[in-house]
Amino acid sequence: MQREEKQLDAALEALLQRINDLKTSIRTLLFRLENEYASLSWPSFLDSYAVISGQMNTLLKVMKNDKTPLLRNLIVLPLVLSPDPDEELKQATEGRVVAFSHDITPDMLRTKPDPDVEQRQNQFEQRASQVPPETAQKQINALNKVVNHVLEQITHSREDWENEATVRAAAAQTCVMADTHTLIAAVGLGKNLKTLPIAAPAQPGPGRAQAGPAPGKTTSTIKTTIKAASQVHPYNR
Amino acid sequence: MAGNQNPISAIDMLTSALRSNIIPNQEYLLQGSVIDSSAEVLHNRLRGLCDAAETGPETFHDHEMCFSLKASSPGGTPQQQQSFLLRVRRALDHPEYPWQLRYLGQPELGEKNQPTVLRSCIDIACTPNVVEFLSELGCRIEFEYVLKGYLFRKGRMKVTMSKIFRMGQAKSPDSLEAMTGSYLVELSLLAPSGQDAVADEIKVFAEQLRPLVHLEKIDYRRLQSYS
Repeated sequence: MQREEKQLDAALEALLQRINDLKTSIRTLLFRLENEYASLSWPSFLDSYAVISGQMNTLLKVMKNDKTPLLRNLIVLPLVLSPDPDEELKQATEGRVVAFSHDITPDMLRTKPDPDVEQRQNQFEQRASQVPPETAQKQINALNKVVNHVLEQITHSREDWENEATVRAAAAQTCVMADTHTLIAAVGLGKNLKTLPIAAPAQPGPGRAQAGPAPGKTTSTIKTTIKAASQVHPYNR
Repeated sequence: MAGNQNPISAIDMLTSALRSNIIPNQEYLLQGSVIDSSAEVLHNRLRGLCDAAETGPETFHDHEMCFSLKASSPGGTPQQQQSFLLRVRRALDHPEYPWQLRYLGQPELGEKNQPTVLRSCIDIACTPNVVEFLSELGCRIEFEYVLKGYLFRKGRMKVTMSKIFRMGQAKSPDSLEAMTGSYLVELSLLAPSGQDAVADEIKVFAEQLRPLVHLEKIDYRRLQSYS
């Protein structure tokens, strides 16, 4: 018996810890929403949500843990109700519950949803029950069909994307370094362009300038260089 | 390429530069290439990334002649003689545009962490008789080629995709022979000296084009030995 009590204590302690974590995260998010709404970025907002969702998961894990006794088998039984303020209770609830009074206790210990929520749920349930079963079945079938279709399309698209990605990776060669060098050497230094006969079409100027060298001879380059240099000299003093 | 630029903006640039005594004469440059089959992909990507996506890029079809002027040093062999290149470019598709005379300085690779090549660059518009003028000065034509391609702008940056053609034996624009099966891709920005921050801007843009095209600092000295 004692062992079970200890287990319960430990489980409650763990739950409390998780819930406090969760509360802190939610409070931080609310604080940021209220005070930093101007500078808050969507990704960081999502990050906060991710933290909360993770904490919810851990909380549920703790509840499902083998060592946690089945909480639904336990009953909370209020023994004494008192309208007088209770300091200890106030502290434990951070000032939300001042007294364990007749007014508040039923709300605190309720196991059903809020009356508002309950009412709305009832409305929905009523609406759902009004639909004739055949129509409901039809609608369910139609929805299933649509969802399956969408799912199929997504799967197909994913296959296509993956194929494309692999194809792209295989044919990644979009540039050749040797070509880069050839082109830049040609444009910058005239590599592989010089040996050709040089004359601009319809331009008398360059035609005259290359009067010296014999076209197509590689050895002509040096010869003309000397020639050109001696020509240059008088202008360049 | 300057021939294809909007003449108004060129005049604006010139007057504002004259007024403030600032000449954008430093070219920040990254170069690379893309093979023809992937050129369309790059074209589309650049269209998306660059300004005026709706109207599409400007096209150009230019002829560039490269003239050298040798400054002979006494006793030097011809190979040791210093020479510098002057480039004359004309738009084949727009004969009415002014011709362009361009001086390009030695490309500096700088420190390893410097994002781009830096070279001085001076452009000036001129009339077709510049060729005659240069010849009279003693310049001789070193090589020439034809470029055909697209020009994109992204803010102050200029991206060109150009196919380089060798001039054929027939000396007519029809007998063009492509140098390689690739487009030359150049990403450049002209700025007054000392504005090194723009280099990072260029680097960031170049990163966006990976892995389609690798725009890099190309060492011209290493290309000298490359054949």
